[in-house]
Amino acid sequence: MKTLTYIALIAGIVSAQSVLLPHVSLWQVKPDLGFVAVCLIGLFGGELEGLLVGLVLGWAMSLFSAQDVLSAAIIKGCIGFIAGLAGRQVAYLTPPLLVIGLFTLSCLVGLITPVVLRLSAQQDVWWALWSVVLPQAALDALIGGSVYWLISRYFGLEQWVSEYRI
Amino acid sequence: MRMVNFRLSYNARRVAFALAVILVLSFLLLPTQLQTVFQAVGSPFGWVISWPLQAVAGIHDRIAGVWGQYVALQGVEEDNRQLRRELDLLKEQNGQLRESAAATERLAALLEFKQQALPTLIAAQVIGRDTGNWYKTIILNKGTSDGLQSDQGVITPAGVVGRIVKTTSSTSVVLLLTDPNNAIAGLIQRTRDEGIVGGTTHGTAQLKYIPLLSDARPGDRVVTSGLVGGFPRGLAIGTITRIDKEDEALFQSAELVPEVDPNHVEEVLVILPTSFPTEGERLKAPKTKR
Repeated sequence: MKTLTYIALIAGIVSAQSVLLPHVSLWQVKPDLGFVAVCLIGLFGGELEGLLVGLVLGWAMSLFSAQDVLSAAIIKGCIGFIAGLAGRQVAYLTPPLLVIGLFTLSCLVGLITPVVLRLSAQQDVWWALWSVVLPQAALDALIGGSVYWLISRYFGLEQWVSEYRI
Repeated sequence: MRMVNFRLSYNARRVAFALAVILVLSFLLLPTQLQTVFQAVGSPFGWVISWPLQAVAGIHDRIAGVWGQYVALQGVEEDNRQLRRELDLLKEQNGQLRESAAATERLAALLEFKQQALPTLIAAQVIGRDTGNWYKTIILNKGTSDGLQSDQGVITPAGVVGRIVKTTSSTSVVLLLTDPNNAIAGLIQRTRDEGIVGGTTHGTAQLKYIPLLSDARPGDRVVTSGLVGGFPRGLAIGTITRIDKEDEALFQSAELVPEVDPNHVEEVLVILPTSFPTEGERLKAPKTKR
């Protein structure tokens, strides 16, 4: 059942990311719903789920992007794994803490990605930082924080997360 | 309410860690081989995922259609008037061009130029955009099962859109002309100087490696040169808006406004790889008449 849920989630995220989000992008930058989902799954589900969902989601997203399959899958997998490891160190997770964490991780990943992708000389680190990394990190953090707040408010996740961490 | 227990056993954590290490090592040691395997397995996987994607794209198109046909009709009358004026102008230009074409045909026949084969085109619909922010691409609703492959050129009747960089069995990813990672062989129509057209980070295009002695100027049109695969000769790419000439540089470059606005393209034509004669083949010396 959980596998089916994840497959549906992946299909939904890929569809939304490529069809709907280009219309709601800010400064021509759209949030990475895959990043947010993988982080939350890693945090709540642990390293293994974060890693596996990250790998499959990165792979699925790369099929509809010019990004190469391997780097997309491995970057997303590593994000899920790191989120799982980070989640293990946190006893009580508040939305502001999550927002800061997502922003920081998104910035780090955003700075590593252009190096891994070997983009053109025009797309240097400063261009990447101001044009893609910071806006995307802000959007990712905002969406991740909102989703976490909604889930914790309406599904009692806060209590579960606290129990799970302790 | 207590949710599903996600707690990991010690073994599962070890498996996750081992998997992560193996993947990172394989990424470092066998990048090309793994890339091929992932891409091959991804084709049917992409077909499965393309179903919800096409469903969402269909719903999106319907909503956009309703909006365009019934709600966003302000200014249509003015547009209509403007288009009629343009149509009259183009009709006149068309007449002149037909005359020129007939003259060119007569001269080409005299010189025994090899006819440029008309390429086979496949129409496709744009169903989405790149899932990330690093590349400027569009996703088409046709893939390898329709005969599409990597490196095929994509155009609209107005001009060049980009080229296919990735395919699954039912979708294709097109890297747009305005992406800085793209490279298409171009030719300035007036001066016949060749260069490479790529995108810029500002969403425009750029013709690079123009010879220093070229007298290219703003307003010149750039077309495909047909020298490398994907595009036949003479397809419109864009119009030069600025020439950049740096001191001690070996080449000059030019900024272009693309003929096709890639942000608003909805239907495209994919050029199938028929054998276009190259410029050399086309202009080879005529047979001597006896």
